[in-house]
Amino acid sequence: MIYLDHAAATPLHPKALEAMLPYFTTDFFNPSAAYLPAKRVREAYEAAKDQIAHAIGAKGVDLAMTAGATESINLAFTAIKYLLTHQSPSSTKSAANSQTISQPSSKPFKALVLATEHTSVLAAAASYPHSLIKVDHTGLIDLADFRAQLTDDVVFVSIALANNELGTIQPFAEIAEIIRKTRQKRLQQGNTTPLYLHTDASQALSLIDINVARLGVDLLTLNAAKCGGPKGVGALYVGHNVKLSPISAGGGQERGLRGGTENVPGVIGFAVAITEAKKHLTSNRKKYQKIANILRQNFSQIPLDLPSNSTKTPAPNQSSAPHISIIAHLDEKVNTFYAKPVFLGNPKHQLVNFIPVSFPGLDAERLIYKLEAEGILVSTGAACAANKGTKSHVLSATGLSDAEIAGSLRISLGSTNTEAQIKTASGIITSTIAEEYRRCFARKSGAAARLSASALQRQALTTRLEKNSADTPKYGGDNA
Amino acid sequence: MPKVFLGMSGGVDSSVSAVLLKEQGYDVTGVYMKNWSKDLPGMKCPWAEDLADAKRVAVGLDIDFEVWDFEEEYKQKVVDYMLDEFQKGRTPNPDVICNQEIKFKLFYEKALARDADYIATGHYARVGMLETRLSQCGSLSFDRHEHEVCGMRNIVISHPACLLRARDENKDQTYFLYRMSDESTAKTIFPLSEMTKPEVKAFATERGLDVAHKKESMGVCFVGEVGMKDFLREYLPAAAGEIRELESDRVLGYHDGAFLYTIGQRHGLYLGGGLPFYVVKKDLVQNIVYVSKNLNQDLLWSDQLQLEDLHLRNHLTPNELSEIPNLAVRLRHRAELLPVEVTACSTLTLTFTQSIKRPAVGQSAVFYSDKICLGGGIITE
Repeated sequence: MIYLDHAAATPLHPKALEAMLPYFTTDFFNPSAAYLPAKRVREAYEAAKDQIAHAIGAKGVDLAMTAGATESINLAFTAIKYLLTHQSPSSTKSAANSQTISQPSSKPFKALVLATEHTSVLAAAASYPHSLIKVDHTGLIDLADFRAQLTDDVVFVSIALANNELGTIQPFAEIAEIIRKTRQKRLQQGNTTPLYLHTDASQALSLIDINVARLGVDLLTLNAAKCGGPKGVGALYVGHNVKLSPISAGGGQERGLRGGTENVPGVIGFAVAITEAKKHLTSNRKKYQKIANILRQNFSQIPLDLPSNSTKTPAPNQSSAPHISIIAHLDEKVNTFYAKPVFLGNPKHQLVNFIPVSFPGLDAERLIYKLEAEGILVSTGAACAANKGTKSHVLSATGLSDAEIAGSLRISLGSTNTEAQIKTASGIITSTIAEEYRRCFARKSGAAARLSASALQRQALTTRLEKNSADTPKYGGDNA
Repeated sequence: MPKVFLGMSGGVDSSVSAVLLKEQGYDVTGVYMKNWSKDLPGMKCPWAEDLADAKRVAVGLDIDFEVWDFEEEYKQKVVDYMLDEFQKGRTPNPDVICNQEIKFKLFYEKALARDADYIATGHYARVGMLETRLSQCGSLSFDRHEHEVCGMRNIVISHPACLLRARDENKDQTYFLYRMSDESTAKTIFPLSEMTKPEVKAFATERGLDVAHKKESMGVCFVGEVGMKDFLREYLPAAAGEIRELESDRVLGYHDGAFLYTIGQRHGLYLGGGLPFYVVKKDLVQNIVYVSKNLNQDLLWSDQLQLEDLHLRNHLTPNELSEIPNLAVRLRHRAELLPVEVTACSTLTLTFTQSIKRPAVGQSAVFYSDKICLGGGIITE
């Protein structure tokens, strides 16, 4: 099996597993108990939290451990709830404009989230007034739109450090600067309404050197399961200026924000995993860069071996046929058509282990099932969206056409991958893609590719159609 | 190559059907009918998982695959009908209506519009040819050699095609199919007609289909028998009422909606220990459920039933039906075939040789002569 979906889940690091095991058996004690063995467990737990916090330039006490990233995100959003429930006229009294600010109900606090955020962020935001910040076609934040939407009622901004489908890394230096200036401007106007910046760093954790101060964030979400740790373990870094409401009332654990006996083995495992990830960050990046390049290069060179008649048969219904120019490009020297993949995301600002790529005209779900039969595991968009038969909101937000979305794969590399493995995988993936294109062309009916010789030549030899242009013909996979 | 649209649910039956059709040389398009996608109390709707399973099989076979969305129609034609019936105090059979209105109507029509030669489903049933019209030949006969192979080979089936019980008597699903139109029957292939369920499972295992051991969905297409009460509670307003003992008229307890109870039911009454009580009567107007400890209570038994809303197959008339010798009727899926006499008047009266436990009002009675399914109707009083 060749696993190419590390963005969905990573295998547990062997050292993490080893470190966790005693806490299931001999060191099972409740960290809150008074006797000495429990104190040892408590110490180990706190040390693990410190270790996790150090990896992002924080202290253990700044972390609220959670059951995964989704819970961490939900906890982060309680910052808005806290403001709504603890809002007292005096705390936000403004000399300039006391009337409006002391009555938050007339102008409710609002959140801004990036349009490409993970579903958990969008769902958490749905409980509050919020709006979406636009992205460009590579998934990068539209800073102008961000600035324009950053009105005085905004108290909470959530932007993932790196996107989970595209791997696009957001420019936090600029984002944080905008936030800083906005705070300054508010204070200058006598407005003390807080403005918090939250980032979901789940995907970025094992590939980017994260430091909360440098990023300029107030809240940061971590996820153990994306960096070689166990599933169901996450954390929220909480800056000292932020007040949150508890998401689960209980025995006062995690600074009272999340009651419940601590997940000792999980947090210990997380600490080991994040430390290992951090230790090998540079070497892993180099390794992923290299093998990602092999894949990218091979994807750009997939000969389609179209049967000769497929390019000569006049299209009976050209309106439903995609342009060959979108699917393939003709190398005139060798008179061969090659697949024309669309590499998604931003090549300059992208996690190096991410290869999101679309093969327009193909049905990526079919590819997944075919590759799975060959022992290769890849993903379409986000795993959560894939099974629902719905379009990825991330890819839609970047303005991809339906055909590009339907044909998009997400390949994400990780610790299990080797160069030799990738070469094997690449051969199988490219031949499967070529096979699927031939199938697409051979189909007698439906809305798949139908070409005429003239259309083929005309299109192949004339200018390449611009992606997302208004006249992009709509064609779909099976459901068109 | 004849073109077939096969309904694929992601289960083992329709998956094996896909393999068989493909190997018999049909041009197969698998279709997942998306009829319902909401989660319900105690039940996570498996549609996304089922869809993925169906598509995985289709891709593995290299056949075309599509999703046809009938959610709106299903809600209107099946769910609303069902809720309405329950509210009237009856116990409808949604599978029967789903087959009549969705699978063998909307799906069939859409497939024909897409130039299908046939449709197919993974039901356990057969399609055969009647040699002549039933009434004219007196005794029922049909072309054995043709019906034996239909569904297995590309043979031309013309009207009047008839619906026959499957080889696997234990799995035969004609009870649910009796309302499918003659027209669609003539164009339907049941690839599993000659296979038993164990054979189907063994075949799936042999072909390495992931769905070989998938748990089967039973009863109502989407909630199952157990889930029906939860489903009704979700969609129909609760109405508190009394539970009375029939004989004494004593109030024994209270219920939250008479529509939730079925005649003959003994579970879920919460009336305490001792001998079990059976629901024997429902007064929908007063919202009273009557129970009795007497299993021999007359209301539970009868040697006669009335049918309405008849759907007789192959242009059979009620009078013709009454003249068919050795007529048998089935009152539940997989129940034994009971000999019956039919009298056609304003309604159809069924007379049995002995007293039977009354089936719930709203359920179907389906007639058979030998292997042939002749149609049926809805039980009233």
